[in-house]
Amino acid sequence: MTDSRDRILVVDDEPQIGKVVRRALESRGFDVRVAPDGESALDSFRSWQPQLVISDLAMPNVDGLTLCTRIRKSSAVPIIVLSVKGEEKTKVEALDAGADDYVTKPFGMDELLARVRALLRRVEPSQPASEEDFVAGDFQVRPKQHRILVRGQEVHLTPKEYDLLLYFIAHRDRVLTHKTILTAIWGPNSVSQGEYLRVFVGQLRKKIEPNPNRPQYLKTEPWIGYRFQVGL
Amino acid sequence: MIKRLKPYAFATLLADATIGILVLTRHYFDDTTAALVMVLAIMAIALLWKSGPALWASVICTLCYNYYFIVPYGTLNIEAREDVVAFIAFTAISIIMGQLSARVEARAIQAEARRIEIEMLYDKLRLATEEAAEAELLRRSEKLKSALLDAVTHDLRTPLTSIKAAVTTILSELPKEDDYQRELLQVIDEESDRLNRFIEEMMDLARLENGGLDIRRSETTVSEIVETALDRAAPLLVNHQVEVNIDPLLPTMAVDAVAFSQVLYSLLDNASKYSQPGSLVSVSARLQDSLLIVSVHDAGSGIPKELRERVFDKFFRGNLGSTKRAGFGLGLSIAKGIVEAHSGRIWIEDAAGGGTSVLVSIPIGSARVRTA
Repeated sequence: MTDSRDRILVVDDEPQIGKVVRRALESRGFDVRVAPDGESALDSFRSWQPQLVISDLAMPNVDGLTLCTRIRKSSAVPIIVLSVKGEEKTKVEALDAGADDYVTKPFGMDELLARVRALLRRVEPSQPASEEDFVAGDFQVRPKQHRILVRGQEVHLTPKEYDLLLYFIAHRDRVLTHKTILTAIWGPNSVSQGEYLRVFVGQLRKKIEPNPNRPQYLKTEPWIGYRFQVGL
Repeated sequence: MIKRLKPYAFATLLADATIGILVLTRHYFDDTTAALVMVLAIMAIALLWKSGPALWASVICTLCYNYYFIVPYGTLNIEAREDVVAFIAFTAISIIMGQLSARVEARAIQAEARRIEIEMLYDKLRLATEEAAEAELLRRSEKLKSALLDAVTHDLRTPLTSIKAAVTTILSELPKEDDYQRELLQVIDEESDRLNRFIEEMMDLARLENGGLDIRRSETTVSEIVETALDRAAPLLVNHQVEVNIDPLLPTMAVDAVAFSQVLYSLLDNASKYSQPGSLVSVSARLQDSLLIVSVHDAGSGIPKELRERVFDKFFRGNLGSTKRAGFGLGLSIAKGIVEAHSGRIWIEDAAGGGTSVLVSIPIGSARVRTA
């Protein structure tokens, strides 16, 4: 009988953390394996093909950053990194290297589970074809007409704002670094032009947020970038 | 000019005095002795006033030697052939001795100057070595402190992570009706959060005091900083009304967004603690001259004037009564450190209509005016 449960690989050199995370994920119906270091995580990853990886950043030998880089060479599997306050630089590097999200230690299990579900939802094969109309939470996207409706109301966007919003919607529930967004929308030579992005984010918030001072869709991740949530 | 001629005048005087004495006492010694004494005087002049005056004294002595000590006396003529040789020898010896003495003296002066220079260089080198050793010692000690701090933090945080993850797992799986266990588990959860905050604050404080607060400036907007702080403080402000007034034309700022949102979070945390549920907490940001002024206002009972400086001291805590959660008295102290690391100022004012206003000002510096 084939096990249809989603497979999650947890990588942490602290056995107690591994034990608790495994127990919590298993009780939510996930199939979990725990690897104590990056090297054995890579072995498990190749042989077991998990649907999601949760990895600590600071580990002996092969650390979380190296693990992200090596996994990304061969797979688009969602990766969540576990970091502590003070590891911000490594966290940004891990996100730039391909990690999809991060959770700061100590974390509540609800927070980790919410991130796990959001990322697993994203990779489900229900993603619409690029030219088809689709709905994502409060957003209705009509790619052929270059139109986006928010809570049923059409928002008037410039072509660049449209590209940016579409990119955010397509990469919802992920932490996107400034570098990743700038490269995707303005090209690789604009990585140092963070000002562009802030101006466009400010404009987008004025157009899509009910209260631009308290954004509910386009959230700032200080130092790192943005996270887009499409609402319920 | 006079200064330059002075040595020549002294040389003339000394040469003339020597010749005068020799002339007056010539009956007691022969001409050769007179020549030797004159050479001695020239050497002394060379040592005292260097080569120019010595040459000048040589000329005087040669002429006087010829005039007073070579036959016929009282003229500059020389009759005997051997006296011509003696005169030439005297002239050559007096000039050579004068110049040699001057050179020896010059060398001695140069050697002394070199010695002083070497001593100075040695002192500088010694000082530099001592300073370098001190700096190295300090660097190692800072590194050790930082490593120790990281290790302690890691060792405290790791079990906290397991505790927090475990207790939240049990809480989320607990039957709704089990109030007894829920209440106790929530205490564990909240206290582990509290312990974690304490660890973070102690770390921040230690870094601030070591001068090692890592301020990472990047261009950011005030509204993003306020948004981050409000998001984090949302659970604390759930029973308050929150108002945000940010001037939409504020420039972007080159500040450490995370550290600055922590400052605002501390101010919001205090505002929530020291004001009644249901009251208004407002955050505003405006530009005044070349300063960005961010203020957090609450409608609490206010802070007496005599405590307005002390609230920024470490471990200072206001009177909260028994019902509210207590902090560690580090938030404002850390906030002050972060603001000052941005060359800014933090202070407390009476709020219009009662309550407290905490204001933060920082120079906009390299800020750029938004065009959008």
